[in-house]
Amino acid sequence: MAWLITKVRKNNLPVTGFMWLYAILSVYPLLWMIFYSLKNNDEIFVTNPFGFPTNLRFENYASAWSKYNVPVYFMNSVIVAAATVVGAIILAVMFSYAAARLQWRLRGIAHTYIMVGMFIPIQVIMIPLAILVRDFHLANTYGALIVPYIAFNLSFTSIVFYGFFRSIPNELEESACIDGASIYRTFFSIMLPIIKPALATMVIFIFLNSWNEFTMAVILITKESLKTLPLGLLFFQGQFTTDWGAMGAAMTIASLPTVLIYMLFSEQVENALTVGSAVKG
Amino acid sequence: MKKFLGNKLAIAIFTLPALLVYTIMVFYPIMQTFFRSLYEWDGLTEGTFIGLTNYKNLFADSVFHTSVYNGLIFAAIITVTQIGIASILAFAIADGAIKGRRFLRISYFIPVVLSITVVCQLWLSIYNGEYGLMNKLFEVLGIDYQQDWLSSGKSAIFAIAFVNAWQYMGYHFALLLAGVRSVPEQYMEAARIDGATKLQAIRKIMIPMMAETYKFCLVFAVTGGLNAFANMYIMTGGGPGTSTYTLTYLMYRSAFRVGEFGYGSAAAAILVIECLLATLIINRLVARERIIY
Repeated sequence: MAWLITKVRKNNLPVTGFMWLYAILSVYPLLWMIFYSLKNNDEIFVTNPFGFPTNLRFENYASAWSKYNVPVYFMNSVIVAAATVVGAIILAVMFSYAAARLQWRLRGIAHTYIMVGMFIPIQVIMIPLAILVRDFHLANTYGALIVPYIAFNLSFTSIVFYGFFRSIPNELEESACIDGASIYRTFFSIMLPIIKPALATMVIFIFLNSWNEFTMAVILITKESLKTLPLGLLFFQGQFTTDWGAMGAAMTIASLPTVLIYMLFSEQVENALTVGSAVKG
Repeated sequence: MKKFLGNKLAIAIFTLPALLVYTIMVFYPIMQTFFRSLYEWDGLTEGTFIGLTNYKNLFADSVFHTSVYNGLIFAAIITVTQIGIASILAFAIADGAIKGRRFLRISYFIPVVLSITVVCQLWLSIYNGEYGLMNKLFEVLGIDYQQDWLSSGKSAIFAIAFVNAWQYMGYHFALLLAGVRSVPEQYMEAARIDGATKLQAIRKIMIPMMAETYKFCLVFAVTGGLNAFANMYIMTGGGPGTSTYTLTYLMYRSAFRVGEFGYGSAAAAILVIECLLATLIINRLVARERIIY
């Protein structure tokens, strides 16, 4: 975009102004949340509603952590997200390898069949899913979230892996076969290392999805000790007037993992979350 | 080689686990949704077949009309604001001469990675009638426009739509930015030599060449809007009254609060049809032929 670059140097104050204004609109609410996580009610409501806290009250974090079950929600989110990532990646990578590289008659149909899931909004199958989870006696266990989350991530993850596997030249398998490697050995020692970048992308994608998932969780989990962070934080609605500082602290804690990951790997995260457009469009 | 790649046992080991989990947890429920929409069903017993009665009742239900209307309004607002703002920002960032580009990019995208609960709670406190930032801001600016943003049946849906638009604008921004970068430079170069202004070049060359990206953004925003649920669930509980109901919310209430699972399934089936229709229309209107460059 060299031309755009050279032209913009001269002018365009309105556009630049808009960019910075929108950046403030985008980030300030978050800063405000972090600010008030370090204030007391008096400072939030009356003395200093907008600015940086005058007195850093880290005790809000201590009280969010000890009084409001935040460690339980946090651990549940870690367990559910980790199990979902591992489960979905393993199943999807195996399936897509077979669909893309192995030779069997129904592979085209199987691939299309899995692809259908990508176009179905989860909202649509919530009712039968809730019944299913109940009938499998998964209700109010970690499995109630992990199994459906894995299932939901399968379609999209498989399709991304499928694309990667298709782009690998056939000679690799031929030489592996001639060298006497088994199909399993070929899969683990040759194929998996090649698609490492896709694996990393999909790990981020699935992690963010399951860490923040709300709709299914609200229907499938009612037990306090199994709630994930997005569910647990709902609790604060009733708590508004009493302890805003601790509420801000709990929300900041819940956001920390995803925001940190994004800060560290911003390009990869953006790629992971937008990879869908390449496939779905 | 044929034997190597046609290993039946290996194929079974690789594919069956995924196919099994997917069939039980995704495909079977899809079928069930349609099937059960024809039943009077409480989720516990077998239920009775009642044909299209659930659909007839839906069309006679005023809450259903509100829900469909809200879905459309919600989808329209987020589509226009997200794609509009994202376009301006993406073209501006692609220019490259702005200081602090990395910071700006991160700022635009950061709300996307947050949990929807955090975002909704945050905006609940911003909208709060007594203590909220919004009213405080008007106070500081000396404008007498304080109100309880979410408790008026007329404005609540707009206030909620704004929150969703705010959170996911960055997603469209990232998509469009990737789209801008995929347009080969020589086209813009040619436009420049032919004496086009930058705005003309963006309108006449850049945007048409990004039709595929725009198509995806449109489908994503519109279907996302029609499916909206979490924002309403967390921020207003469908209220005040039923003024912020959406189809998903109606489905949730019918099934999990009132115990009318068949009725809820019918609402879900209508939702699928709505989303399919929207996708078809967008596909028909935007980028009908694949663009190759």
